[in-house]
Amino acid sequence: MTIRHGLLALLTQGPRYGYQLRAEFEASTGATWPLNIGQVYTTLSRMERDGLVAPGEQDEQGRVVYDITEKGRAELDLWFATPVRQADRPRDELVIKLAMAMTAPGVDVARVVQAQRSATMRTLQELTRAKRGAGVAQRLVLDSMIFQAEAEQRWLAHCEAVLAASPKEGA
Amino acid sequence: MTSPDPEPGTPAAVVVRLAEVGRRHGDGAGAVHALKGVSLDVAAGELVAVMGPSGSGKSTLLNLAGGLDRPTSGDVEVEGVALAGLPAADLAALRRRNVGYVFQDLNLIPSLTAAENVMLPRELDGVRTARAREEARAALEEVGADDLADRFPEEMSGGQRQRVAIARALVGERRLLLADEPTGAVDTLVGDEILGILRGRAEAGAAVLVVTHEPRYAAWADRVVFLKDGRLVDSAAAGLVSAR
Ligand SMILES: Nc1ncnc2c1ncn2[C@@H]1O[C@H](COP(=O)(O)OP(=O)(O)OP(=O)(O)O)[C@@H](O)[C@H]1O
Ligand SMILES: [Mg+2]
Repeated sequence: MTIRHGLLALLTQGPRYGYQLRAEFEASTGATWPLNIGQVYTTLSRMERDGLVAPGEQDEQGRVVYDITEKGRAELDLWFATPVRQADRPRDELVIKLAMAMTAPGVDVARVVQAQRSATMRTLQELTRAKRGAGVAQRLVLDSMIFQAEAEQRWLAHCEAVLAASPKEGA
Repeated sequence: MTSPDPEPGTPAAVVVRLAEVGRRHGDGAGAVHALKGVSLDVAAGELVAVMGPSGSGKSTLLNLAGGLDRPTSGDVEVEGVALAGLPAADLAALRRRNVGYVFQDLNLIPSLTAAENVMLPRELDGVRTARAREEARAALEEVGADDLADRFPEEMSGGQRQRVAIARALVGERRLLLADEPTGAVDTLVGDEILGILRGRAEAGAAVLVVTHEPRYAAWADRVVFLKDGRLVDSAAAGLVSAR
């Protein structure tokens, strides 16, 4: 789902052509997630079908700008408000979400970070609870998950400190 | 004012209650607001962790909860007794009887051995030396430091001093345990052990408040509260299903 939400986030800055969205998506995510133009257009047409974006008129070269709809904004708000789960996480979704929250106007990034910290902390609490009374092998597996969740917590705490020191541009 | 409720079947008694507590240092333009309108209850049997960036007010919160510092606004109650109205001597007595501390900088007395450091709060309680010594031995054993009894703080490693400081807080079955970064100088295995000990005390009926900046230790808590710029911004309770 992340590409779709990433594109919606970019569209909150104004209508965009597909090729612009592709370039800006890669710039926002530090090129950790390269997109091909086909993926962008497929995603846009599905979002158009779902009423999340609306196409404008074609220019002389046959290119179409897309704009975000009210429904699209609601969908995006929901995405930002929903913490990513530790389990079955599509790789990098959290990173993309924070990069987009930094870029999109009107998103309270500190809040996105805090919601994620609380959610990951609950996962960490569950893992720690499961560890009590576990056998050694099971405990090591749980420890591995605990260290991963901990790394994310540390990163989020770091994000919070960096954001406090340098608030998002234009905010 | 509430008093602890001894009836079975009722929710666990609140051991420490902070109501809209603020702590300001200094006045006017140069004033530092270390804590702003913080409300927090910790009940018997509960382990609560406090997280937050450096300078967010974690140690301040702990010191206020234990009556080591007084708020500039709001109220603190320990075992149903409002600390604000207490004369200094009564406050000191209540602290000694009810509260065990592990300080961020440990505060072991250099001229006393590990056993003597652990005995000290009990001797101040008026417990006879032989019994205090026996209790100290048991507390040191509980934290896996029984072999350190006769060593002086300077003859111990950081992690060993840490264990002794924890033993000192455990001795005498205090109802309220306050620990400020109790895992400062230890590796993750020992750190988990320390949290396991605090967890055990909570399960035996104490109210435990732990400050830590390490998520893996905070995760031992029933509840994790986050401080930011002197305010509580959020909390995570174990057993709640996460979002989505
Ligand atoms: N006696 C004091 N006079 C003035 N300011 C103080 C005093 N004690 C604490 N502060 C300030 O209050 C704020 C909170 O301090 P506190 O020690 O509670 O932070 P902390 O969260 O425990 O930080 P750390 O993680 O570094 O231990 C800080 O800005 C600190 O400088
Ligand atoms: Mg501190």
